[in-house]
Amino acid sequence: MTEFIQATAFGLLIGGVYALFASGLTLIFGVMKVINIAHGALLILAAFLAFTLWDQFGLDPLASIVITAPAMFVLGWALYVTAIGPLRSAPLSSTVLLTFGLALVFEAVMGLIWGNNSRAARPSYFDQSFDLSGIILPKAQVYAAIVAVLVLALLWLFLNRTWTGRAIRAASANMQGAALVGVNIARVSALTFAVGLATVGAAGSMVSVLYPFLPGSHYIWIARVLSIIVLGGLGSLQGAVLGAMLLGLAEVYTQTYISTEWATAVPYVLIFVVLFFRPQGLMGTRLREDVAV
Amino acid sequence: MRGSKGHPGRSRLWFAALALAATALIAAGCGGDDDDSGDSSEPMTVGLSLPLTGEFSQPGKAAKQGYEVWAETVNEEGGLLGRQVELEIKDDGSDQNTVVADYNALIQKDDVDLLLGTFSSLLNLPASAAAERNRMLYVEPAGGAPEIFERDFQYGPFFTQQATADHQGDLFAEWVLALPANERPKTVAYAVLDDPFTVPVVDALRATFDEAGIENVYDETYPVSTSNFDSIANSIKSENPDMVINGSQFEDGIGFRRSLTKVGFEPKIFFQTNAPSFGEQYSDGVGVENTEGTFFAISHTPDADTPGNAEFVDKFEQKFGEPPAEDAADAYAAGQVLQAAVEGVGSIDDQLALADWLRENSVETILGPLEWEDTGAPIGEFLIGQWQNGTAEIVLPEDAATSDEIIAVRPQAE
Repeated sequence: MTEFIQATAFGLLIGGVYALFASGLTLIFGVMKVINIAHGALLILAAFLAFTLWDQFGLDPLASIVITAPAMFVLGWALYVTAIGPLRSAPLSSTVLLTFGLALVFEAVMGLIWGNNSRAARPSYFDQSFDLSGIILPKAQVYAAIVAVLVLALLWLFLNRTWTGRAIRAASANMQGAALVGVNIARVSALTFAVGLATVGAAGSMVSVLYPFLPGSHYIWIARVLSIIVLGGLGSLQGAVLGAMLLGLAEVYTQTYISTEWATAVPYVLIFVVLFFRPQGLMGTRLREDVAV
Repeated sequence: MRGSKGHPGRSRLWFAALALAATALIAAGCGGDDDDSGDSSEPMTVGLSLPLTGEFSQPGKAAKQGYEVWAETVNEEGGLLGRQVELEIKDDGSDQNTVVADYNALIQKDDVDLLLGTFSSLLNLPASAAAERNRMLYVEPAGGAPEIFERDFQYGPFFTQQATADHQGDLFAEWVLALPANERPKTVAYAVLDDPFTVPVVDALRATFDEAGIENVYDETYPVSTSNFDSIANSIKSENPDMVINGSQFEDGIGFRRSLTKVGFEPKIFFQTNAPSFGEQYSDGVGVENTEGTFFAISHTPDADTPGNAEFVDKFEQKFGEPPAEDAADAYAAGQVLQAAVEGVGSIDDQLALADWLRENSVETILGPLEWEDTGAPIGEFLIGQWQNGTAEIVLPEDAATSDEIIAVRPQAE
């Protein structure tokens, strides 16, 4: 029983952090129907920013969110204006190609600035754990999960309790309808992309303390984050949270009860099974193709 | 629309004319380069592809630095067969398909004179096959997986480290088995990255320890995409083994070591492949206080008393402002081996002759003397290092040791 509780605790802690990693991607897809392949590279970019703030100025990596999130918000807005916006009405494949190209550019830029060396922030708690009667809870993971829940709660409040947030949700549900009632779609799209990247900024701060990373690490993360939003339902924030929790638990249960060798394969089997019965994902909405455009 | 679909006969004529023109151009290009050795005013182009981006960009960058220092050194000494060496480096993005395309392009399109290898067994496996198909000598600084040398190739690959992966832990295993009975570990746990290099290292250690009766209490292989090691570390902790063997590359090795500390488990004996050989990057990643007593297999140390090593280290530090990583030294040694073969034969026209020269001769490198079996597998002993007082020391074999003592029980475990 202790083993099960321990595995569940690890899974939920990992899932909480994954949820934040995926929230920006699903938000951007929901409104703009853009699959941002550069999401992983931007996550690593934010991790490098957080690492530098810790390394040069001693700023705690989790506290550095107050800088990385706004910095990534600004970058998101700039990226939207210069690259994503002009392709907003282009086919999905064009934006996939564009954002894949951006991922490669960001990887190269990170290599030029920080080199191809592996980094990992080591605040005082990085290798410490809470021990609750034999249940180990790594402090960094606990703190990161708490911060992730706070950021996700703020995001939920923003989307549900502010007019701007409601405009984003309206655009996500029906872009033409939102435009008809006066929502400025171009502005909402830019804001969504920037807010999505702000969540990436917060997530990157967590990566810097939880995992060693280098510029090429983004491939692993984009694969994982895409899996989460497909599992949860593209465009659904609640779905991303649920998908992240399930993926985190599936990874750890597989490591504990089946084999570490299958730990990253079993979650994909889970996705296959879910999509077989619910092609729209766990929380996705199934639309008639003729009205979905 | 009509133009694109109509007049198939005319299209065929155009295609035939273009093909003829292309053939004529290729023939002209080939005809102008009858002598592969070239004259001394032409540079000697050495082609290679490295993982400068992607998962293996860490060793890829280090290898690039090592190759660059080698080329500079050769050129300062008058070049190779009197010709200045020019490196033609491509980025394979850590991808097996791209690395093959790169080497094919280097040979067939860029018409390079010589080849040098890439990094990791995963990439050298297909890259060496591309070289073999094109009848080019292949000298590789990494790629010690035994399967690489089981293909009856003629042109290589010649692996420029002291031993293949399955022998890299030999001296460590001998040391463990020679410990007094009360210090010898009774139980062992294995956590291995699923990689053609790490698996054979650990397979060989496991076979030796199984035979010696050391009980295997945990044995798992993890995929390259693994990021979370907390539950693996916790499972190992629950088995409380005396010794932990981690077959790792780099990032996974750091993550695994951090997780052991996080769950509060310190084995008496801890061996990792690769990761601890990255010097400060390793100690920065795991915390220098957590490095004490960690064993690792390594091919090079900046302090080694081998011919040319001090000059290499000096030059590297002047150029890059830091001591060379092991991978940089391995790449430099690969350059030295290629250079020895070319100078030994005196020509690059017959690349099979270069390969045969390496089969028959030993080469002095900064890693020490290297020699090979007919398959290209090296015949030698790998060094064993151990982190002591925040420094990576060589502890085995005794004649290469930079430290007089070996920490038998890690202080954190006491």
